[in-house]
Amino acid sequence: MTLVAKQGIRRSGSSDRRTPIYTVEGLRVHFPITRGVMRRIVGQVKAVDDISFIVYRGETLGLVGESGCGKTTTGRALLRIVEPTGGRITYTPPDGDPINVRTAGRDELKAVRRAARMVFQDPNSSLNPRLPVGEIIGEGLHYHGIARGAEIEDRVADMLRRVGLRPEYIRRYPHAFSGGERQRIGIARALAVNPNFVICDEAVSALDVSVQAQILRLLRELKDEFDLTYLFVGHDLAVIQHICDRVAVMYAGKLVEIGPTQSIFATPRHPYTEALLSAVPRPDPRVRGTGERVRLAGEVADVSNLPSGCAFHPRCRYATERCKTETPQLRPVGEQMVACHFADSLTLKGVGSYAA
Amino acid sequence: MTQPLLEISGLKTHFGVGGTTIRAVDGVDLVVNPGETVCLVGESGCGKSMMARSILRIVPPPGQVTAGQINLHRQSGKVVDLAALDPKGAEIRSIRGREVAMIFQEPMTALGPVQTIGSQITDAIQLHLKVSRKEARNQAIEVLTRVGMPRPEQRLEAYPFQLSGGMRQRAMIALALSCQPRLLIADEPTTALDVTTQAVILDLIRDLQAEMGMAVLFITHDLGVVAEIADSVAVMYLGRVVERAAVDDIFHNARHPYTRGLLRSIPRLGIRVGEELDTIEGMVPNPFNRPSGCSFHPRCVEMIPGRCDRVDPSRTRLPDGTEVRCLLHEPHRQETAPAGALQ
Ligand SMILES: Nc1ncnc2c1ncn2[C@@H]1O[C@H](COP(=O)(O)OP(=O)(O)O)[C@@H](O)[C@H]1O
Ligand SMILES: Nc1ncnc2c1ncn2[C@@H]1O[C@H](COP(=O)(O)OP(=O)(O)O)[C@@H](O)[C@H]1O
Ligand code: SF4
Ligand SMILES: [Mg+2]
Ligand SMILES: [Mg+2]
Repeated sequence: MTLVAKQGIRRSGSSDRRTPIYTVEGLRVHFPITRGVMRRIVGQVKAVDDISFIVYRGETLGLVGESGCGKTTTGRALLRIVEPTGGRITYTPPDGDPINVRTAGRDELKAVRRAARMVFQDPNSSLNPRLPVGEIIGEGLHYHGIARGAEIEDRVADMLRRVGLRPEYIRRYPHAFSGGERQRIGIARALAVNPNFVICDEAVSALDVSVQAQILRLLRELKDEFDLTYLFVGHDLAVIQHICDRVAVMYAGKLVEIGPTQSIFATPRHPYTEALLSAVPRPDPRVRGTGERVRLAGEVADVSNLPSGCAFHPRCRYATERCKTETPQLRPVGEQMVACHFADSLTLKGVGSYAA
Repeated sequence: MTQPLLEISGLKTHFGVGGTTIRAVDGVDLVVNPGETVCLVGESGCGKSMMARSILRIVPPPGQVTAGQINLHRQSGKVVDLAALDPKGAEIRSIRGREVAMIFQEPMTALGPVQTIGSQITDAIQLHLKVSRKEARNQAIEVLTRVGMPRPEQRLEAYPFQLSGGMRQRAMIALALSCQPRLLIADEPTTALDVTTQAVILDLIRDLQAEMGMAVLFITHDLGVVAEIADSVAVMYLGRVVERAAVDDIFHNARHPYTRGLLRSIPRLGIRVGEELDTIEGMVPNPFNRPSGCSFHPRCVEMIPGRCDRVDPSRTRLPDGTEVRCLLHEPHRQETAPAGALQ
């Protein structure tokens, strides 16, 4: 480990918080619910429902929330792997004109998908078991016409080395690797085509802590080295806190809070964020039983049948009559943007209140 | 000192696969006292599940318990060695689900798909307790209520697939608790859940335990969960327990370099943003390719060359009760140990 890494010194790289790389405005992804042989549409799954945010060049933006809240769908919509049903998505390349992703034609979309790549949670199902690692990583190079023939092999070998795998492994198949190694292969595949934006969808969620720490370190090194911007989707808030500059919290298809990691964790302003933070196990038996823990009753809201008003109100300990009827809008409160009627009057518990 | 509920010594569970032997569990020692929560931690593949399944003798073939003792102090006062029982025999069946129950990460491992929740729980109750169908049904409703299942009477008629993940987990816990076991083995029951649901399920297990006085052997790879619920902790590496201590000692006075490495690699809330995590280099070796000497030596930052790669450390009991398998802590090494031994 390098001295810099050991001392925990953060190199900010070329981070410029002012330049947007992805701009998302009013994004909607609704899936129709159909019934019967006629496939009559009987409802909508509002997986993502009117969310707006900007990802700035050089930052790591975290996207968190319970399963089913729409994180993956949001990430996939940015690359149009799922078709948005509303809103606007703009990708701004470092050296070129902004691209309207929703109306992009074939060539433009191809360019977007080279610049913006995904790393998935489950490397087992995202790596084709019938292809040797060399082909898996080299596929994008070939498809995007970046390299051909022996050149591809050289680049793949470089990439393998860069993610900490031996270049001799190029002809091995995915099954011959451990979970952590497969995740490295997934990262190599994403980075081989020289992207500048990477969506890490639960990229470390399935890994053991020691391997998770290795992959997080790798992701951070690669970010500095290749000037990357990350959208880091995850549900482990402790991991998010380690790696993200800003955090966006989703609940039932909507953004409920977004802001700098430090301030969201110290002073959450949405009751849902408070509950999420409170639920994280604290790795010190000496703080057991200290401080009140917020527990969320009931289940995650059903996105095909959302509660009225604030979708969080049935589980919210601060809810009033107003919350049942009036939908709160995302608005600035302090350093954050929050969608709760009482964001400026509630005093909520952050991690500072029970830090070990 | 109280009589232990469960005493495991030298347990080995091996898989013979195509001429080679996978030593999934390779000499485990463990004690669970009545009413106590013991957490078993370690990275995936280190043998936690096979160790748990060995206790109930439900190791999948070709796996077999090949050595060691699993002494259970039965309610009757009798001590039985579960390792010596016929896995299909009457005695182990009278223990399974009755005195020792198990819950899993995937609830469908325990819940059958074709029977309603209600009939599964009432069947389990009637298998072990002499009660009428009606009484069993009432007890089923009671236990479902106890695990926080909303509208329990209606849920009796539900099939597992009709429930959400969190509710299915509760149904499985209800099934396991229906006969008031003295030991509950929980194999990563919250790993697949959201943190919010995990917190609720952990509270539930803790409350039920306090109320029923049962012991819990809780398997997890999450040290945060361990800190929240354990009384004592056993850390496993490659089929062996490498450190066993009270929970406070594990977190504040860990002796084994592996335990210390695990603790350094967990992300913690409240630490400065961007702080780099330490890691344990390398990865868990294949269980059929166990390194020589101390099996952790290739990844160990405190490895003593020429010794750790040759000598297999034995179990050492330290004055404060911690048990550790590490040459740094073996008696004749102690004069050279402290430099790296204390954090
Ligand atoms: N192709 C699809 N068709 C219908 N519903 C979908 C589809 N993809 C996702 N959903 C639904 O959208 C919601 C959000 O899912 P997802 O984005 O995967 O959530 P997350 O990643 O936060 O767990 C879920 O209710 C899911 O069932
Ligand atoms: N059916 C099986 N056949 C062969 N080996 C197995 C089988 N099941 C488990 N193993 C081996 O036993 C070891 C321990 O597995 P397990 O107890 O499931 O680990 P853990 O629960 O700690 O993740 C694994 O490394 C695996 O290789
Ligand atoms: S708007 Fe009301 S229900 Fe929603 S989070 Fe705020 S207080 Fe709770
Ligand atoms: Mg997802
Ligand atoms: Mg397991």
